[in-house]
Amino acid sequence: MKALDVLALSFLCGWAMLPLAADEPAASPAPAEQAPAPSQPNQQAAPTLDLSGGQKTPDGQNADVRLLGMEVPLLDPSNDTVAYNGGLFDVGNNAVVRARFEKYLYESPEDSKEVQRYMKKLEAILKLTQKSARSSAEVGSETLLQIGRGLYELGDFPMDGNQSPALAGGIASALAVQYANLKRDKKNEATQKEIDKLVDDTNRMTNYNTGRGTRQVGVKGNTASATTITSNTVKIAQGTKNIGLKEAGIVKNDTDSVAATEMAKLNYQSMIISFLMERRFDHALIGANTFRHIFRDGDTQLKLDENSKASKMFTNLTGTTPTVSALASLAANMRREVDRNMQAVDAQLAQSHLSEATQHLIEAVAVGEYMQSVAAFPLAKRARIAEFWTLRKRTLTALNARDYAKAEDVAKRMKELDSDFDDSLLRSYCAGRKQQSNLELRNAVKALKAGNEEEFNKHITEAGTIWPLNPKLAEGREQLERIDSQDGVLDEFKVLVERGDYRTIYNEQDKFEVVALNPELKAQYKEAITVVSTIDGMLKQLDGAAAQDATMGPCMAYEMLLEQQGNEKYEKDARFRDALARYALGAHDFVQALEAAEACENRGELGSALSNFYRAQCLYPRSEKAGKGVKRVTERILKAKF
Amino acid sequence: MARRSRKSSAKRGAVNWQGPVAGAAVALILGGGLYVALNGSGPSPSRSAGEEGGFDIAAYRTDASRLTGNRYRIIGRVENIDTIGNDRMVAVSVAGNKQERLPLLVPESVSSRVNLTRGDTFVFEADCRTGRDESQCEVKGVLVVSRIETK
Repeated sequence: MKALDVLALSFLCGWAMLPLAADEPAASPAPAEQAPAPSQPNQQAAPTLDLSGGQKTPDGQNADVRLLGMEVPLLDPSNDTVAYNGGLFDVGNNAVVRARFEKYLYESPEDSKEVQRYMKKLEAILKLTQKSARSSAEVGSETLLQIGRGLYELGDFPMDGNQSPALAGGIASALAVQYANLKRDKKNEATQKEIDKLVDDTNRMTNYNTGRGTRQVGVKGNTASATTITSNTVKIAQGTKNIGLKEAGIVKNDTDSVAATEMAKLNYQSMIISFLMERRFDHALIGANTFRHIFRDGDTQLKLDENSKASKMFTNLTGTTPTVSALASLAANMRREVDRNMQAVDAQLAQSHLSEATQHLIEAVAVGEYMQSVAAFPLAKRARIAEFWTLRKRTLTALNARDYAKAEDVAKRMKELDSDFDDSLLRSYCAGRKQQSNLELRNAVKALKAGNEEEFNKHITEAGTIWPLNPKLAEGREQLERIDSQDGVLDEFKVLVERGDYRTIYNEQDKFEVVALNPELKAQYKEAITVVSTIDGMLKQLDGAAAQDATMGPCMAYEMLLEQQGNEKYEKDARFRDALARYALGAHDFVQALEAAEACENRGELGSALSNFYRAQCLYPRSEKAGKGVKRVTERILKAKF
Repeated sequence: MARRSRKSSAKRGAVNWQGPVAGAAVALILGGGLYVALNGSGPSPSRSAGEEGGFDIAAYRTDASRLTGNRYRIIGRVENIDTIGNDRMVAVSVAGNKQERLPLLVPESVSSRVNLTRGDTFVFEADCRTGRDESQCEVKGVLVVSRIETK
């Protein structure tokens, strides 16, 4: 990131500073010679400088704050935090930042004709400030007057927020100091003339008394002269005293002028920096450009504490002493960066890259909230970003609440909105935490089986701490409650297994589920459920198939069930037996033919047996049992001797 | 569609040839004449002249060994043929009872004289016999064809 970008983002302090403003010391009273200043945009950023080097708060206590000695917040882009006055502020999840950004997202865009008129006037004033500062007037200039008038007019627009009149007031204050200095200069000139006259008079009287010039000292009859000499001596003493007093007055006035000028510059620079920190870049630029119109002595150096971060920041940026011109350049760069950010937002929205667009809009709003390109951003585009921003907030809330399932759901939605949104870190984090919780649960189950209650409690607590909404926690709790309340179920289960009554276990599987905690009973429980499920599935299929053919269907179903009859577990199932009996009745002739065939075959009546197998085959041609019987008996007959 | 045999006493469809002398004489003359007319040569003097009618397959299925010794003339349609070695087991259906199949053992000596084809109808002359299988167990009530005629 470029240094300017970092600096631009550092002005997120406009938000970060808000909670701290109340802690700042109040401005100290202005010097006597300074005209009363109009309201300043940011009073706490313009404390009065004590020329002796210290600063006093109204209650007389020493404050360790000097102009810009207070740290200018600096952004650490690696973790989205802003360091300010010893504290760290998370720009991405700071309540103030969120509130300001959300307010912006839901505000109506400022794109009315009145706003456009305002911006035009502001641009016109900005152009005026770029004119030459030369003027025949001793203080101020016609250009400065136009700038001041224009700024006062801008105060009529509601979107200005009285920033322009405040700037105009600052300019007026600085000019008032200049006028006061001029007045003192003129007074000094008059005083100097008086001093010169006094000096002349004193010199003349001194010459008279010492006889220098035309008068001769000690001439007889010159009584008046002695009197005059005495009188002159007194006057000389008085004149000398007056000269000293007047010269002291001149020195005092000069000192006052220097101090007032320094103070005026200081206040004016404070005002420019305040505009900058409040992200009023247009006004900061106007103020910085106007500085040379007001103070024509060529000294544009910023009055910064050398050890302040602000001073170091400027030094790092320019490598030179910080000046008002550097401020102007900074403000101009801010404006350009904000506009470029907004262009990037537009481009990214067009490609549905909502994540990047949101990030750029946050930066743009943070740095240039009051700029036209930001303020006029269309509502529809704001709504798209607002949706994404809301999802991001929900993700953070879900993560804070350790609701990882919800966080994943929200991330999925964000991915749907922005296919380029990188949710891998979030997903892997959530998956990791969920696995960790499940692992603890597994260890808890192991401890439970081992009868180690202490370990069980430890692991179950850890699992809940990691993922409080883990659904398996609730399941486990229910299981434990059931185990505690239904010990008799185990005995009942064993009896049913012994009887082979899997159907009852299946019908009440919720009740018997607890036996699964015992590994041996768990296998039996699973077998019971599997056997009955298989029988039910098979019967369901057979019923469906048998219903399609009223004649052969029952024969087919009967034969299928007959194949399973050797399975003891099936035979013990009541529903299986019922089905077998039902289909045997439905396929009465077929069943009778098969049974007769087998009986005849056993008696050696192979002719009858084969005839009965043929009969069964006629009733159900796909019968395997009949087919096999035909084949078997036919072979016997064909191999027999008659 | 079979002719009655010579020996069966109680069975329906089998008539005792030792009836009244006059009836027997008439029956012998008529039956012998008809048989000669149909078959050319008479196989066994014990064979009676059967009458055209349905062979009671249901009775055969119940207890075929009771028919042992009887000869039948059966008109049936070939439904299936199974072969092991040179002998054939032919399943035939008789008219009026399509839900039944009658198994007939056709020895090679008989089947070589006629081309048995599935779907064709033939007249089978068969004797109900008892034999022995490979393990010397009795194989009872099997209809062994001795003559086949094309219908």
